[in-house]
Amino acid sequence: MESTRNKLIGLLAKEKDNYISGQLLSDELNISRSAIWKHMNELKKDGYQIEAQSNKGYRITGFPEKLSENTLKWGLNTDWAGTKIIHKETVASTQLIAHEAARNNAPHGTVVIADEQKEGKGRMNRHWHSTKDQGLWFSLILRPELQPRRAPQLTLLTAAVLADALGRHTQTEPMIKWPNDILINEKKCAGILTEMQAEQDRIQYIVIGIGLNVNQEETELTAETIKKQATSLKVETGKNWSMKALFQNIITTFEKAYDFYIENGFSDIKKKWESYGFKVDQRIQIKTMNKNREAIFKGISEDGALVVEDDNGDLQTLYSAEIEWFNNKGDENVNEK
Amino acid sequence: MLKIQEIREIIKLIDQSSINEFTYESDGTTVTLKKSDESSSVMQEAVVKQAETLQKQPKKESVPAIEENKKEPPEEVQEINKHDDSNNDDDNNTFEIVSPMVGTFYAAPSPESDPYVTKGSKVDNATVVCIVEAMKLFNEIEAEVSGEITEVLAEDGELVEYGQPLFRVNRN
Repeated sequence: MESTRNKLIGLLAKEKDNYISGQLLSDELNISRSAIWKHMNELKKDGYQIEAQSNKGYRITGFPEKLSENTLKWGLNTDWAGTKIIHKETVASTQLIAHEAARNNAPHGTVVIADEQKEGKGRMNRHWHSTKDQGLWFSLILRPELQPRRAPQLTLLTAAVLADALGRHTQTEPMIKWPNDILINEKKCAGILTEMQAEQDRIQYIVIGIGLNVNQEETELTAETIKKQATSLKVETGKNWSMKALFQNIITTFEKAYDFYIENGFSDIKKKWESYGFKVDQRIQIKTMNKNREAIFKGISEDGALVVEDDNGDLQTLYSAEIEWFNNKGDENVNEK
Repeated sequence: MLKIQEIREIIKLIDQSSINEFTYESDGTTVTLKKSDESSSVMQEAVVKQAETLQKQPKKESVPAIEENKKEPPEEVQEINKHDDSNNDDDNNTFEIVSPMVGTFYAAPSPESDPYVTKGSKVDNATVVCIVEAMKLFNEIEAEVSGEITEVLAEDGELVEYGQPLFRVNRN
């Protein structure tokens, strides 16, 4: 069923402005002309604009903005990323659905995407605000043959991919706040949360959750939970963006970067990450158990940890620390935005 | 090279057998296991050597030591040995759940929630016992055996090392 529809969309789209006859479609797809007609009605319901003229046939004049498995996949030229898409209108969290799908053997590259999340997951179950139809909320299932301790590299890779794709797509200058928040003009535009099921030396699966604010107005971002540090692509560019095009750009960029990483290792990804790194070569405040101190943020290590240089010139690697990114002394302009 | 789990397995097998000495050599690393005369405890020296090699692995890429966790290798090795001894006492029923990566240990899914497990909790293979987080990657650790938690070895919020024991489980 699904694939007949995809083929039908494919045939129509190939012809662009020309009509294609119902007879030809029925021959190509090996279904009756009345079945074609039913499919056309279904497509219209999904938001496709289709013109039908007697003696000429059908042509497609518009694609829907509404997300569906079909529209998201249409035009996506990837080998494995997003070749299986599970789309839901409203979910508690795409992460939960993705975990369930992964436990039921969903293949590497499966995407779970929703128009709306009621309980979007943030770090340590902090809420991620996911308004209906205003952003991209999706989870990507991966089954890498990596040692579990290398897995954190994948979350940094995802951040680099997002920064890369968003920068090119929207002509903005995204930065990555370690380890993986995407900032535009120093406000958070996207977040990544990764969950893994692994044994001691084998990863069963990884679910990478991505939340990207796209078409929210500034007023919609002032909800209590996200306060003033949040932004959307619309706020930053003054434009509405097509979710489908953004999604496909991200997924395509991800597949390339991931395949490259599996083939060549982390070092190029690390360089890319650092090129987007927020506050690289600047002073940051580090809070550990009972003291605050300052150090210069030098970049990330091969395993993605934070590398800082203290005032004695000694390098240190931090795996876990609270960093005060925005309130640096001697760095006056940071909060004036 | 042998993994720490494999060494554990070998120790257990030797313990149950009448073998008194066992040597394994690969890639320039030699593991020698000997039973002492009085008891069945394992020669510590050999384990130390192996554990040290294992220890180097995760740190190789990051030159400086991990903050707040500059444990000298011998300290940790002693933990392993202690465990091996207790293993013997408990008729090899004790299983250790170890951390698969460097990261922060979380005993509960969120600060307000109850811990996944506590001492005395019954677990099976798929029971989630904790989360280890590094760079916003949350690793839900499963027990991998069924039994009862006899000891929680890490504290909520503690930075744990690759291979560090997190729980002891008394197998059913």
